[in-house]
Amino acid sequence: MINGNLKSTYGADERVLNNRYKQLFVWLSAIVIAAIPLFANDYVVLVAAQIGIMLIAVVGVNVVIGYTGLLSLGHGGFVALGAYAVTLIHVWLNFLGVPAGIQPLIAIPGAMAVSAAIGFVVGLPSLRVKGVYLAVATLSANFIILFLIELDALAPWTGGRTGLTTVDPNLFGWVIDTQREVCALIGFMAFVSILLIQNLFRTRVGRAFIAIRERDYSAEILGISLFRYKLLSFAISAACCGLAGAMFAYFYARVLPEQFALLLSLQLVAALVVGGMGRTMGPVFGVLVIVLSPELLKLVFSAIAGTSAEAAQFRAPLQEIIFGLLIIGFIMFEPLGIAQIMDRLFRMLNRWPFARG
Amino acid sequence: MGQFLQFAINGLMAGSIYALIAIGIVAVYKATRVVNFAHGYLIMMGAYLYYQFAVLFPAAPWAPDWLQAWSPEWLVVAKADAPMFSPAAAFYGWLENIPRIIFGLLGSILGCAVLGTIIERTLMRPLLGQSQFSMIMITVGLVSVLAGLNGMIWTADAASVPHLVPNVPIRFSAFGTPIFIFGADLANMAIALILFGVITLWVRFSKAGIAIQATAEDQSTAYSMGISVPKVFGRAWILAAGTGAIAGSIIATRSGVSPSIGLFGFSVLAIVLMGGLDSFVGVLIAALCVGVLEAMVQWKLGGEWAAVSPYIAVLIVILIRPHGLFGQKEVERL
Repeated sequence: MINGNLKSTYGADERVLNNRYKQLFVWLSAIVIAAIPLFANDYVVLVAAQIGIMLIAVVGVNVVIGYTGLLSLGHGGFVALGAYAVTLIHVWLNFLGVPAGIQPLIAIPGAMAVSAAIGFVVGLPSLRVKGVYLAVATLSANFIILFLIELDALAPWTGGRTGLTTVDPNLFGWVIDTQREVCALIGFMAFVSILLIQNLFRTRVGRAFIAIRERDYSAEILGISLFRYKLLSFAISAACCGLAGAMFAYFYARVLPEQFALLLSLQLVAALVVGGMGRTMGPVFGVLVIVLSPELLKLVFSAIAGTSAEAAQFRAPLQEIIFGLLIIGFIMFEPLGIAQIMDRLFRMLNRWPFARG
Repeated sequence: MGQFLQFAINGLMAGSIYALIAIGIVAVYKATRVVNFAHGYLIMMGAYLYYQFAVLFPAAPWAPDWLQAWSPEWLVVAKADAPMFSPAAAFYGWLENIPRIIFGLLGSILGCAVLGTIIERTLMRPLLGQSQFSMIMITVGLVSVLAGLNGMIWTADAASVPHLVPNVPIRFSAFGTPIFIFGADLANMAIALILFGVITLWVRFSKAGIAIQATAEDQSTAYSMGISVPKVFGRAWILAAGTGAIAGSIIATRSGVSPSIGLFGFSVLAIVLMGGLDSFVGVLIAALCVGVLEAMVQWKLGGEWAAVSPYIAVLIVILIRPHGLFGQKEVERL
């Protein structure tokens, strides 16, 4: 039972992992992440990679919605940008004759930078409007990005509706061409991005974001530049989504416009709502639920109805309904998400014989 | 010039349908302060209900014959006499369809009204007084619930439905260019504009409409003045669902029923924000402007640009006038 969180120095109080439970949890999860590409079977690797890709994106969405309090429904567009940008940068680097071994070191940050730059532009309306106006503005931006990707005039670069064939990254001579290897890379990136974003909220920048979330005009009176920090928040979250897009492009053999349809943006926000906004572990729980529930449904469905085509036709709409009900249910009954449920659970375990809840 | 006129007319006709859809979003916003992201999917349900009641049910074996086609003898004779593709033939064809059109419209409006009431009762009322974020997210969740329900009930393929009014082609020439208009489109435009006018007047002058206005101004004051706010909410949702059902039926006659009707809602949402969320007149102007803009873009740049032009327009408008062209500026206090 934890009775207090005793710290004897300021340094200890300011650490990211400020108690032993957190340290233990982080080491254990690092081991699990490392174990999946080494020991798991192909199906688990596939699902784990999907979870990892989405996790990186949702961690980014958490910065802008959860911590800065700006509602964005357009972050799927940034994932698309990242996926296309990383592929195009590889093509250009090949054209310039850059050695293959160091290409990802340029391409991944390049994709993040492209996404961040566009995120900066998309964030501009956030200076003048918020709430529903901002949601529609970002939604519009998402539609425009998708439209530009599909546009015939840009097809020589983006491949139009037929998409692009992606490249296998080569890291200092290690060609990452199997899904298992890419999954390891995705796991590493997801782990690092969660820790880095968590670290962000110990700094001046992160505290400014939280102040803006609580009340933007009050924050401005306290001397926080809304212009700088709102746009920075958009840029950081877009960069995370760009990283997710880059991983997406490495993992799959092709990128297609329809993979980034409106549903992706909604899924990102839904994962955040289900998991818990403005919490470190929120995106993790949320993505687990959003990615695993269709897989679970598939299992249950094939057990009950078999694998006939008719059953499969029925399953897709059912999956959509469950997805919607998850959002509605969490908003109505647990707006703080699974993170809050877990908090309550741990508190109960902690005080077990003496008190509940 | 003639071609310009043709595209401008097309744009106005599309814009009036947008305006009809937009009524639903504005009415719900005015009464409940909820921006309904799922309105497009409500419209899609309306379109599919019209398809169900006007095409599938009359064709069912238990349906009486007069529902499938109303054919008194004089009509059969007149129809056989009318030359093919003439206005008369179109008119007699429509006359034959009248029973199922009425049946379809009634079914669609009633079905949508029930759906709207269910949504209002189960999802919106428990969230009274919650943050705007929760309300928006609920309607976002509703988007996928409605899309899924639709896919479960009706298999997702495009099908055509009978026109609401006789589809008489109208041809004339202006500035030396032949201009061609579908009569049904013109009549749909008239239906949409009349409905829009009636509802705007109703909100302005009737007792129930004034209750909606009062609730929009301040919910708790309205309550203390003896207005039943939950009843106002219910009414607004039924109004939105009913106009949505008519708009859905009209869209279904224009381009057939298909799941992509739901996406209409997002471009109409953009139009509503452009006009100002709480202004009927502003929304009408914005809807007609966007309709014409889309038609012009389609003329000059091609169809794929037309679909994205409302979004580009709303981004520009929001950056210049954050609360839309005619919207009231919200005053925020610390």
